[in-house]
Amino acid sequence: MMVPAMGAAAAGRAASARTSAARRAWARYRANPLAVVGLVWVLVFFLLGIIGPWVAPHGYAQTNYLMANHPPTWAYPMGTDSLGHDMFSEILFSIRFALEIAIFASLAAFAVGTVLGLWAGLQGGWVDASLMRIVDFFFAFPAYFLDLILVTKFGRGMGPIIFALAVTGWAGYARLIRGLVLGMRDGEMVEAARALGASPLHVAARYLFPNVVSNMLIALAFGIPGDLTVQAALSVVGMGLNPPLPSFGNMIAAAGGNILGYPWLLYWPAGIFAVTLLSFLFVADGLQEALNPKGGY
Amino acid sequence: MGVFRYILKRLVSILGTISAVLALSFILMHYAPGSFFSSANLASAMGTLRMENAHLYASYMQMFRDRYGLNLPLWRQVLEYVWHSLSFNFGNSFENPSVPIMEQLRTAFPISAGLALGSIVLALMVGFPLGVVAALRRNTWVDSVLTTLSMAGQALPSFVLAVILVLVFGVWMPGLVPVNGWGTPANVVLPIVCLAAGNVGVVTRYMRGSLIESLRQDYIRTAEAKGVPYRSVVWRHAVRNSLTALVTVIGPSFAFTVVSTVWVENIFSIPGLGTLLSGAFVDDDIPLAITSVFLLCLMVMGMNLLVDLSYALMNPRVRLE
Repeated sequence: MMVPAMGAAAAGRAASARTSAARRAWARYRANPLAVVGLVWVLVFFLLGIIGPWVAPHGYAQTNYLMANHPPTWAYPMGTDSLGHDMFSEILFSIRFALEIAIFASLAAFAVGTVLGLWAGLQGGWVDASLMRIVDFFFAFPAYFLDLILVTKFGRGMGPIIFALAVTGWAGYARLIRGLVLGMRDGEMVEAARALGASPLHVAARYLFPNVVSNMLIALAFGIPGDLTVQAALSVVGMGLNPPLPSFGNMIAAAGGNILGYPWLLYWPAGIFAVTLLSFLFVADGLQEALNPKGGY
Repeated sequence: MGVFRYILKRLVSILGTISAVLALSFILMHYAPGSFFSSANLASAMGTLRMENAHLYASYMQMFRDRYGLNLPLWRQVLEYVWHSLSFNFGNSFENPSVPIMEQLRTAFPISAGLALGSIVLALMVGFPLGVVAALRRNTWVDSVLTTLSMAGQALPSFVLAVILVLVFGVWMPGLVPVNGWGTPANVVLPIVCLAAGNVGVVTRYMRGSLIESLRQDYIRTAEAKGVPYRSVVWRHAVRNSLTALVTVIGPSFAFTVVSTVWVENIFSIPGLGTLLSGAFVDDDIPLAITSVFLLCLMVMGMNLLVDLSYALMNPRVRLE
């Protein structure tokens, strides 16, 4: 009778320790005004991404040649582009597509990187050595070029771009988690768990992962805006998401070419994109300070 | 004695990585839609020939296949391609077959390399004093403004900054500096500012953090206790200690700077490697595309090697391995 009761009490203590740690992190986060402002905009951005396709007044491929390159009016609150697309609707759909690409690519890279990094760190030996060789390869040259080549090969749709970003993204997560695991692998916690008969999988899932998850979250918070940037940057050289699918990169690149005649085409896309990237950075920075107050980069 | 062995080891690893990049791109591009025969000039010429004289067309095609080794198995094509590229023989491009790629690169490469290196120098010159100021005035409004600005510089990719600058100097205040083209010294201003902005942020944030850290050290207190004037405590003891690691901070961002030149060149219509690269990818001009990727990667890896070497040179505690 005693043992389960103690176990429950210990579990309760552990849970309350965890919630109070989270509460303290949240208090630290709230103390940073830029992080709070950033979080508000990021949430608005996500909300727009979810409801955007329903509230958009026009379809993203719907053109009106009679109103091409028109300054803002009541019907087209942000003006129209050279094909007569409603810029307001284009932006709402872009938010949706940009978020879909960035989130799926980041999560895929995160999942692959986490599993491989945990495996390499725990296993050591030739697994570690060969995995880290591959990681070094991805770090040795700019990933953007590999993205370009992959997109050329597989096409410029949503799927191929997500795939390309995931292929070049996982190495960073793998290296990070492998380093963290190496630091803990021979520590007392893992030794104690092993002594009690825990399997390597159990050690990884129950002891190592919870201890690295805050660092991984910070990395993910930096990774999502990174993917937003790269995906827009593909459009700058003309290899981004295939029109008529709208994207911030295409809008910014197109507006950059037409800027002397129709500057209003740039204000909203560039403005929203810039504010979004800044907000994501403020959030990531705030998370870093809140979850990892001792240091970091 | 280790330096030469170290350099040799690094060169070998650069060679291995770059060969892998070349082989991978060649294989991926081999299965991509574009090919030698789909280039605009050749396709129209051969199309006409095919209509007029099918026999001659077939023998021409055979000649092309023999000449360019298109009949060989893929692995032989890859090996030959990597070998020729490593000896800087890039062949001719699809879209511009009469000019060897080397000729096209001869003017483009120095432009891109100059922009990238120049922007790094500019970023160091601007970011270093800003970081020192932010550290000495830490937790004041000067510090928060500088810190926020440097975060903005890091968050905004250069292509967003570039179009914003085009808007400011092309639409709102036209005539101050050119927003397009290349050739005069004034053309350099906006591109290099765009490229430097991110690194200014990096340098400022690093210098601020490192200097605050240094000023807390015991040897600073010793210097102050000895009666060293505050100015020389800061400049001769604290700043100097932060300087060596500055190189390693700039190292990783060099790769990003090189990628940024590609974007900035496209937006400001600068005839550098980046413009060549984007044109090549859009036109499915595979040899030119792979070659420009190859050169940009080589630039990044060479720079990283230089950074590591100079770091070891400045900081004797660092062991090369």
